Amino acid sequence: MTNQNISLVKVRNTLLVTMPADPDDVTVTTLQEEVLGAMEEYRPKGLVLDISAVETLDSFFARTITETSRMVTMMGGQTVIAGMRPSVAITATQLGLTMVGTFTALTVDRALDLLTHPHPRRRIR
Amino acid sequence: MSDLARGNIPIKSENDIVAARRVVRDLATQLCFGVTDVTRVITAASELARNVFLYVGAGVMWWSILDQCGEVGLELTFEDHGAGIPDVEQAMTPGYSTSRGLGLGLPGVKRLMDEMEIHTEVGKGTTVRVRKWLRK
Amino acid sequence: MATRSKLSGTAALEDIEGVGPQAFLASIVECSDDAIYGKTLDGAILSWNRGAERIYGYSAAEMVGRPVSVLVPPNKPDEVPAILERVKRGERVSHFETTRVRKDGEVIDLSLNVSPIRDASGQIIGASTTARDITEQKKMREALAERAKEILDVSTPVLQVWEGVVVAPFIGTLDTQRAQQFMERLLDKIVQTNSAVALLDVTGVPAIDTRTAQHLIETITSVRLLGAQAILTGVRPAIAQTLAHLGINLADVVTRSSLAAGLRVALDILNLKIITQEDQAKGAHSL
Repeated sequence: MTNQNISLVKVRNTLLVTMPADPDDVTVTTLQEEVLGAMEEYRPKGLVLDISAVETLDSFFARTITETSRMVTMMGGQTVIAGMRPSVAITATQLGLTMVGTFTALTVDRALDLLTHPHPRRRIR
Repeated sequence: MSDLARGNIPIKSENDIVAARRVVRDLATQLCFGVTDVTRVITAASELARNVFLYVGAGVMWWSILDQCGEVGLELTFEDHGAGIPDVEQAMTPGYSTSRGLGLGLPGVKRLMDEMEIHTEVGKGTTVRVRKWLRK
Repeated sequence: MATRSKLSGTAALEDIEGVGPQAFLASIVECSDDAIYGKTLDGAILSWNRGAERIYGYSAAEMVGRPVSVLVPPNKPDEVPAILERVKRGERVSHFETTRVRKDGEVIDLSLNVSPIRDASGQIIGASTTARDITEQKKMREALAERAKEILDVSTPVLQVWEGVVVAPFIGTLDTQRAQQFMERLLDKIVQTNSAVALLDVTGVPAIDTRTAQHLIETITSVRLLGAQAILTGVRPAIAQTLAHLGINLADVVTRSSLAAGLRVALDILNLKIITQEDQAKGAHSL
């Protein structure tokens, strides 16, 4: 079920997806397919996307994430992006990628807490 | 005063976008750019390479290391022989997007780099040149 | 033998006992601390003063007749030809900072001045180079830059005030370089301390320009992407006005009028509350 470089596991009724350092376009597209498949199968309360290993977040990756997040929401879940690196956060901001519609968390741990006890202030407006 | 090194890679497939990122990462790291600047340059290259592949299908990325009066920099040039950009000013306006959704992302790329030049001619092609200088 | 009319200021030198004007000028060159050497337009060394011997480590006998490229480090093959090209066109190269290699292999930092040498008819027949050893100067410059950077770090501190809360008090304006460094330090600190909240306090900022406002908004957005909550505190009317004029909607940003108020929000986010000792005492009674 899992792609060679994307890791997808079910943890505490959420999906934990871990992205590799520099995923190519095929891997990024696979992310979306795998998440949708897993959402269907397990009906988890949310998706935690662990990007702590990711060094580059370009517009294609960002677009795919927000699309996936939208689909997860439509299927009754929430998406939390976890572990974004400072250099990636700064670059994404300056490039104009704001990832509206997703939650963010410093760590996977925090992300899982968030999905278990959601806090209204954390959402990006 | 002189170019220290230069090279190029063709952009013909999605894999070439990744290849472009790798080459730029190696160059930026070699030149001792800080972590965030390395990320900026790689991301800018990814965006511009993707534009070439997405809108034209084929093109080339030239890179060269610059040394001007002790200032070290990295220059990337993305060249294609596509349809050209009909209205560059509009494309450079933040917030503008084509029907695809995110447009060419040029304002964002400009923000990431120190210098950017665009030469385009409808029906002939486009050349986008960007530079980042090493901060002291 | 000297063509006195070509050498300016030599009239007075005729008066110096026992020393002809040309010899006097020659000894000025010889005794200079700087390296002064002449070369042909092909780069072959014609003259080599004592300063050059000291700086480069080669004696005059060793250098005269040899190409100047002997001194150039291997990673700069085009430098000397480029310089000679300019000299041939009658140009001077001034304060050109570069590196050269001494006889013992040590690489040194130099500042070069290269001028064309003309013959009686005004034709360019060679080049004269003065080289100053700036290795010490460069070290001092770098030390100063380090010190300046340290001052920057100190003047835009990022402090952890509680577990999970960092505060960044802004003082003055942020130029681009300072802003970029600040953003990186702030985000690194947030990750390092695993903080949930970052208070950006602008009480000490009376007014901001467009660039600083942009940096501020970028900082707030980056903090959010990272996964922490950014709270802007101490916004003065002038700043609110600037931000409004720039079309920035502060409704998207959590703001409070004072740092203290911001801290209260932070504690709330962390599910913490400040109880006075009085409250505690009362609480104990009501149990």
